[in-house]
Amino acid sequence: MRFIVRKLNILRSAINAISTSFEFKEIVEAAGTNLPNLFDFVSFGVLWKDDWTIYLYEEASCPPGFTQEVVSNMTRVFSLLVAEPITKDQMTVHVEKREMGTRLVSPQATLKSYLTLPLAVEGEIIGCISLNSHQANAFEAQDLQFFSVIGYQMASTLKHFQRFSSVKNMAIYDTLTSLYNRRYLEERLGLEAQKSFRSGTPLALIMVDIDHFKKVNDTFGHTEGDKVLREISYLLKTSVRKKDVVARYGGEEFILILPEATREVSSIIAERIRRAIENTPFEVGNIRLKITVSLGVSHFPDDRPSSKEDLVRMADVALYDAKREGRNRVCVFQGAPSVEVAQG
Amino acid sequence: MASGTKEEKKAKWSTDLVLDFYSKLLMEIWEIVSELIGEAIVELLFNLAVCKLREKHPFLASVKVSEEGISLEGIRQGGQPLTPTEIHRGFQTLVTHLFDLFSALAEGVVSRELFPKVFPKVKEAERMITQK
Repeated sequence: MRFIVRKLNILRSAINAISTSFEFKEIVEAAGTNLPNLFDFVSFGVLWKDDWTIYLYEEASCPPGFTQEVVSNMTRVFSLLVAEPITKDQMTVHVEKREMGTRLVSPQATLKSYLTLPLAVEGEIIGCISLNSHQANAFEAQDLQFFSVIGYQMASTLKHFQRFSSVKNMAIYDTLTSLYNRRYLEERLGLEAQKSFRSGTPLALIMVDIDHFKKVNDTFGHTEGDKVLREISYLLKTSVRKKDVVARYGGEEFILILPEATREVSSIIAERIRRAIENTPFEVGNIRLKITVSLGVSHFPDDRPSSKEDLVRMADVALYDAKREGRNRVCVFQGAPSVEVAQG
Repeated sequence: MASGTKEEKKAKWSTDLVLDFYSKLLMEIWEIVSELIGEAIVELLFNLAVCKLREKHPFLASVKVSEEGISLEGIRQGGQPLTPTEIHRGFQTLVTHLFDLFSALAEGVVSRELFPKVFPKVKEAERMITQK
């Protein structure tokens, strides 16, 4: 009786830790930290369908072969549950190795027993969880009962995350282009500017405007215009570095935040974008159209902006110069007037 | 004609008997497994099994699964001309498929609880059908 009460208390704290987690990794950590007090296992895994990820929380001595077996088995069981052919190659696997007391696993160990349960909410399977051992018959009925309680809590917490993330997505992304929206841009620019102004690290801004976009809309209609906006958005996203932020500023205008970029680097990126768009044939209303963009670049600390609004204004001035000088070119703000760095 | 009616009565009685038998058996499986993994997951697994098998045994589509358990009333009211053997084969496949699912999830843990109670009854059903 005392044993059960102790286990129930551990179960309560595990559930509490899971339900108060704020992100997926934290849930796995919370479960992983508490479960060794409840079950005798050497590997605990969570498969989340949302991003095809398996997180494994494993005893440090688990050999790679054992880990692979666990991944294969979880994928096989999940495939059976959702009645879809899924292979382990589709999965991104994250392994967190931890010392779990005396549970040493030999280098030749293989998967001998496991418990896997679907993570399901309102009839929808969103993943599965698995306890794994290198010992035969490591689990019994009571383990399954306790593990299913953990599973229910994880599933409902993960479902909250899913809902929260879709609301979050609506709040920060532009629905047409899937780029960040203006609200997010302003928030993020505020943070980046604050960071740079305080530490002195460089920060560049590129403002992009599609040349004669009104003509595309007027001639071919808004559906074709939207298609062009989407294609250009894709080119913008694929022309920048991983840490850069690409946002739709409004209409056919875009702003790119380039943290830690020197003036030279930001000019190179702006020119790369200009050339990529100039060299891409756009299929608009059954004809191939050449579309160009004009770009304005501003920079901290070179242009001495005193606020994020200053940075935007300076990039805007440089963009205006690029338009005035004949479009399809990059202009860098350098006081008035801006200096042209490239042209088509 | 009279003998035909008698045969029909016998067949009807047998069909109801087989349905009663499987209704009890499936509820027993439901209770044992839901004690281990909870009603919501059992419901999910039963639905999964029914979905998988309803093409081969169309009458299984009338099985109603909810968090409260399983109801075979849909089959009784469906008016489908089913022989006791057809019903038995369909449910036998369903039970086997459920066992496979439970084994895939928890290896022997569920089967150890379920097998001693359920397997003798499935054998009993087989005997009942072959003696018909």
